[in-house]
Parts: sequence; C-alpha cells; structure tokens
Amino acid sequence: MALKIIESCVNCFACEPLCPSKAIYEAKPHFLIDPKKCTECEGDYSVPQCASICPIEGAILDAFGAALNPPGSLTGIPPEKMAEAMAELQSH
Amino acid sequence: MELPVLNENPASKGGCSAGSCGSTDDQMNHLSDEIRAKVQNHPCYSEDAHHYFARMHVAVAPACNIQCHYCNRKYDCANESRPGVVSELLTPDQAVKKTMAVAANIPQMTVLGIAGPGDPLANPERTFETFRRLSQDAPDIKLCVSTNGLALPDSVEELSKHNIDHVTITINCVDPEIGAKIYPWIFWENRRIKGKKGAKILIEQQQKGLEMLVAKGILVKVNSVMIPGVNDKHLAEVSKIVKAKGAFLHNVMPLIAEAEHGTFYGVMGQRGPNAAELQDLQDECSGDMNMMRHCRQCRADAVGLLGEDRGDEFTMDKIETMEIDYQAAMEKRKVIHQAIEAEMNSKREVKAEKAEQFAQQEKMTTRPVLMAVATSGQGVINVHFGHAKEFLIYEASPDGVRFISHRKADQYCGGDTTCGDGESVLQRTIRALEGCEAVLCSKVGFEPWEMLEQAGIMPNGEHAMEPIEEAVMAVYKEVARSGKLDEVDQAERARAVA
Repeated sequence: MALKIIESCVNCFACEPLCPSKAIYEAKPHFLIDPKKCTECEGDYSVPQCASICPIEGAILDAFGAALNPPGSLTGIPPEKMAEAMAELQSH
Repeated sequence: MELPVLNENPASKGGCSAGSCGSTDDQMNHLSDEIRAKVQNHPCYSEDAHHYFARMHVAVAPACNIQCHYCNRKYDCANESRPGVVSELLTPDQAVKKTMAVAANIPQMTVLGIAGPGDPLANPERTFETFRRLSQDAPDIKLCVSTNGLALPDSVEELSKHNIDHVTITINCVDPEIGAKIYPWIFWENRRIKGKKGAKILIEQQQKGLEMLVAKGILVKVNSVMIPGVNDKHLAEVSKIVKAKGAFLHNVMPLIAEAEHGTFYGVMGQRGPNAAELQDLQDECSGDMNMMRHCRQCRADAVGLLGEDRGDEFTMDKIETMEIDYQAAMEKRKVIHQAIEAEMNSKREVKAEKAEQFAQQEKMTTRPVLMAVATSGQGVINVHFGHAKEFLIYEASPDGVRFISHRKADQYCGGDTTCGDGESVLQRTIRALEGCEAVLCSKVGFEPWEMLEQAGIMPNGEHAMEPIEEAVMAVYKEVARSGKLDEVDQAERARAVA
C-alpha cells in the first residue's frame, strides 16, 4: 500500500514536510514517494496528508492508480469546461 | 497602538493636496515620524517613493495552504506579469546572493519582499531563513512579506524578530458566503476543508493576524482583489473593518482573469473590472481608508522599479559570475539614498508651495479630465510614447491633480501575436488609454499622433522632463481656457457612457 506522485507534480514542496513517514523526497523532474516508507498515513491521520494539500488534480495516485484528487475536485472547474478552454487556446 | 487616520476626506481638500499630488504627501504629513521613516523609501507603500526607489521579490516560497480562484499553481510563463508567477525557484542561499547582487547593481533598491509564488508563511523555514540571513548580511535592506493570512497568527512572533516593518495581508472578504466563491479550499489542521467552512476559518485567521500585527506595531497593508459580481459590493465594508483594526493602507486591485491562465475565473469567464469600475470602488473606499493606487501586481520574482522588471539581468547563472563587495555597495547605496531623499523632500516642498498658490487662485468651474503620462521615474515626463510600457493616469480638476492608477500599454503579456488577438501593439495601447483625453510624453511619432487624435486623445510632447503634476495642471488649464471643458452636463453624459 503506497501512494505515488506522477509527472503533473509542480514541485511546490507543500507535501514534503507533512509526511508522517518521511516517505516524500525531492527528485528530478518531480517529487517522489518511497513506496517502502509510505503508509498512506494510516495510524497517523484519517486522510493522506500529501493528497490533502496537493493543489494539482491527478498528481497523486493511490495503490490502484486512481487519482486521489480527480479532475475538477480542487479547482472547481468542470473538466469539460477546461477541455473547451484549452482547445480554444490551441486553435489560435 | 493607535494608528493615525489617513486621507479621511480627500475630496474636501483644495489644490494639489487633494489626491496623489496629495495622497502621498498628505499621507506622509499625517504620519508619526516613526511611521513616516518606515514608508518614505518603500515603493510599494508610498506613491511618492515609487518614482524613485526599487523593490525586488525572491521566489523562495512555493508551497501554499489555500487555493484562490484567480490562481493557477501550474502556470509559469516568462511573458506574464502577475502575482504567483515565477521563472526560477530559489533556495534561501540563492535568494540571499541574488538580493545582494541586485542591491549592489541597483542602488535604488530598498526593499526585499517574499511574496510567493505560494504563501510565504506556508513555507516558514525557507522564508525565515532568508530573512534571518538578510538581516545579518544586508542590514540596509527593508524586509517585507505578503500572505493570505491563514498561517499568520502562528508567525507573528517570528516575524517580529526579523526587523520586518511591513506585512501585506490579502483580504478579499469578511463574509464566508462570499469567501466560498473565492476560495475553493484551505488546508487546516491536517485536512483539506472546502467551501464556506474553509473560508470562515481563513477569514478568522486573517482578522486575528491583522490585530496581532497591529498590536506589535508592525505596519499592515491590506490587499483586496476586486471581482465584479463576487466581492465588488462588499469591499467598502472590508475597507472599513480593516481600517478600524489598524491597517494603514488598503490596496484594491483588479482581478486578472484570462482563459489562458487556466484559473477558475479565467476558464469560467469571470471578468475583471474595467478602469472606471476600479476607480469608483477605490474612491468609495477612500472615504474610510487611505487607498493605494500605484500597485503593479508584480510577479513573485520581480526586480526593479515598480512597472519595470529587470529579473532577466539577475538569473542565478548570471549571479554566480558576479563579484559583490557588499560593504562597498552599502556605502554607495547610503550616499545615493540620501541624495534621493533630499530630492524628494525639496520636490515635496515645491509641491506644497504650488498647492498653496493654487488654493488661493480663483477656483475654476470646469469638469475633471483624465490624462495619461509616460514616465520611467523621478516624477517627471521622460518617456517616448512608443517606448512606454505603462502609463500613469492622473485626474485634473478644479480641485487639483490626483493620481488615479496605472495602465499597462501591453496588457499582461509581452509575447508574440500568437499569444493575443492579433491587435497591433499601438491599437492595444490606445485602447488601454480609454477615458483619457490627453497623453503627456517626451515625444510622439507621426503615426500614433494621428491615431491618438482619431481616438479623441490629445497627444502632448511639450512638457518633456517637467514634473508630472505641474505639467498635467498646465495642460488642464490650457484646455480649460479653450472653453472645451465648460459644459459639465456633457462631461457627466460622457462619464455615464464610459
């Protein structure tokens, strides 16, 4: 059981000091979680700390590969609205 | 600590003292010597000082503990200028080096701020290590910090240890209902808290932090982002409350929201206020509070005078090759700062004299006029129209001249045409001057001259190198004498249309 940080991480450092297991470390091109140390905060907190402060939707996955903060859950921007805006920009 | 009430009733004052040609001097005159000494060379706190002194931000604080709907944590564009955007994140060690390099090369630099790109107090170790080292190694630099306020009550003690004179808190509301429309979540006591509940905690922390800072004698400026339809009707109340609690300056800034920024407001089509709406709100708040109107909403890694960014000259690879003798630089800085302050004081005296003369003249009955000015500092008209990256907007009226705002010639983006809507730079600049009836600069080329005239803006290159307020008043009187400003009704109609 371990969480995973993927490439959409923006290296904001917010998660690193919160990890009760010191499983998160700075790396290139982005922060990583040591799967041997990660406990998903069980026994320490009711919710995983990294995923509770991470500002980027989809950047932290659970052991099954599912995003802990799925699209739209943090910014409030409906995913289809975001896709529309990005398509509009690329057409310029 | 009791702080003085500033700019209580600006409209009632005559001559140059009504406004910026007043607002700053006026603001300064009402301050105790102690506070005056703290702000008179701070470009972000004194409108007068921003013509002379420079500031810089070091981007050491990437983490944030809240989300705002006008911010996108993913975004970093070298062409963009707005808070929260940086090109290069620094370690405290790099930040100290960069600050000393800038201070040695730009002696007008007086202030080092930490403003992000996240929240400085959500990165306490990096922020405070930078402050600790700078107060030792570069004691002639003022330190300041800006924050969303969530972690502020826990940081006040530490802040007061580092000789930090100024703190800026961004307070967009005092009502959790409104807060829920601005802040989708906060991180608090090991949980992400969404909606009204989160906003309520944030608001409480901001207010508590403000009170604690004032009790410690630290100057507090409050920033508010004006979001039409969300908090625009609410900010006058915010202004009243923060003033009552002892904030000494309120800075109402316009929302910056474009779809390409990828922010909630940008993508959802929330608009920012236009220049007239912003001015109306600032005027409304100014009855209760000293207002700041010269804010440039700069990047979290900006370097230079307000309105300019010399960050490119001080990237880490360039700094590594610079040899800095800070002791020598500090002596040179001291001499230059004294000369600038002497110049500011003598100009202030001249201004006060002129204001007095003006007050004794027979009062005109003409309508007010907005004019744009191209300047790169020193309080004089000294920039060619085509070279101006921004214009300062002044209002001339029978009450005198007052500073209203600045407008960017190139709206928020200096990228190529693929970045914008294909409108020419000149067209964009002229559109940015909407509502102004004259533009004062050192020179104007033939093509822009014609286009400006067609747009109803009178180009004027006759006051190059003259002090701004005097030149604006001279042009105003000239236009007034021509009889073009007599019909007050017509002016009101024009305002209603705008």
